[in-house]
Amino acid sequence: METKVLRMLVPMALEGLKVTLGVFAITLIVSLPLAIVVAKLRMSNNKITSKITGTYIYIMRGTPLLLQLMFIFFGFYRVPYIGYPFSREQAIIIAFVLNYTAYFAEIFRGGINSIDVGQHEASLVLGLSKIHTFMKIILPQVIKNVMPSIGNEVITLVKDTSLVYILGSSDILKAARSVSNVYAAFSPYIYIGIVYLVIVAVLTKILDKIESKYNYYR
Amino acid sequence: MVLLVENLSKSFGNNEVFHDISFSVNIGEIVCIRGKSGEGKTTLLRCLTSLETADKGSIKINNMYLCKEDNNNIKYAQKNELQAIRQEIGLVFQNFNLFPHMNIMENLMEAPLFLKNDTRENIKSRAEELLKSLELEGKEDSYPFQLSGGQQQRVAIARACMLNPSVLCFDEPTSALDDQTRGQISKIIKYLSSEGIAIIIVTHDNAFADEIAHRIITMKDGKITIEEQ
Ligand SMILES: Nc1ncnc2c1ncn2[C@@H]1O[C@H](COP(=O)(O)OP(=O)(O)O)[C@@H](O)[C@H]1O
Ligand SMILES: [Mg+2]
Repeated sequence: METKVLRMLVPMALEGLKVTLGVFAITLIVSLPLAIVVAKLRMSNNKITSKITGTYIYIMRGTPLLLQLMFIFFGFYRVPYIGYPFSREQAIIIAFVLNYTAYFAEIFRGGINSIDVGQHEASLVLGLSKIHTFMKIILPQVIKNVMPSIGNEVITLVKDTSLVYILGSSDILKAARSVSNVYAAFSPYIYIGIVYLVIVAVLTKILDKIESKYNYYR
Repeated sequence: MVLLVENLSKSFGNNEVFHDISFSVNIGEIVCIRGKSGEGKTTLLRCLTSLETADKGSIKINNMYLCKEDNNNIKYAQKNELQAIRQEIGLVFQNFNLFPHMNIMENLMEAPLFLKNDTRENIKSRAEELLKSLELEGKEDSYPFQLSGGQQQRVAIARACMLNPSVLCFDEPTSALDDQTRGQISKIIKYLSSEGIAIIIVTHDNAFADEIAHRIITMKDGKITIEEQ
């Protein structure tokens, strides 16, 4: 019985792993840089800019990611004028990127605010430009400060990828569900649970490495 | 005359910090600005270094106007001129504001490299020279947190000097120092002045001011009085 279960589960899980890790990687790669830009817009002196970004962040953090996925896939094409029928893959990436960018942006905003104003002033007196000051003086210090919070979100993202089932996408959790239904067994869920734990263990190691890389100064 | 301040006024809302003050500083001169806490000493330094904008009056540094009176309005220099003026006047902050994630050499080289003042090799050897004359040899690869307060202050001085300023301002340079480091900083300031740099020191440390200053400016109730030493 258990060998039958595994024989069916392993190939499906490997296919599902592509979806799980794909959504995870693309979301991170796109969201993190985008979040820095959004954080700067949110902190802009321009009232309209900061209001618009504030509203975007409020909506993304104030509604479930599940609902956002459903809206972008099932609802967005019905919106007058701007509506567009996104493919399932497009809808998944858009929803995850929009959602995680909002969370990351708030983390970066807190990180940027925590930097002593003296760092800006010293840069200004030394003749550094605003953009150079941000990229070379402020941002490296921000990244050090926000690494623990970013790490938390990264771990949450791994688990959130399972929400793609709502659009009929086949990730590793979906593989477990299919096999479980065929054999009326619960064990596939246990195996897939272990897969999540392995992924998270690897990520934790990587995050620790990055954090300790920034330990060279205080 | 390397710095000329004329009829300068500055308020924060209804709080008038100083009104209509004028003074000048010559090449290599050491001027101390004294006054009780809250009299506006830091604000004056911040106006000189363009961290604050003045409301009225003019500031001329090395024959360039940072700001000037333009029929009852104050007019600040344009962006690229401002860049040049900023390089002429340096500031050593009360808490130094070194870049914590950069080692000492990187702290010194960051601005001149960005401003493309010289080749990397020349900038580096200038930094080494400065570190040597400020008794910071061997600290090139250290990070600010690994240095004592006095050493951090000297790094901040070296960092400001990398741009060859005509004027160097200090905000309360003795506030965080013990007696021995205090002696060291006054030696360094005298050395910089002998090199032709005009020095402006904000301090409420009267003994220090008496020892070091060529001229003392006292701020009280938004006005200044000047005494030659
Ligand atoms: N950014 C600011 N906004 C409003 N008021 C300020 C600001 N900076 C300083 N002040 C006020 O200006 C006055 C002078 O302050 P400061 O220049 O720091 O004095 P000092 O350096 O002589 O102790 C104080 O009354 C202070 O509260
Ligand atoms: Mg002060």
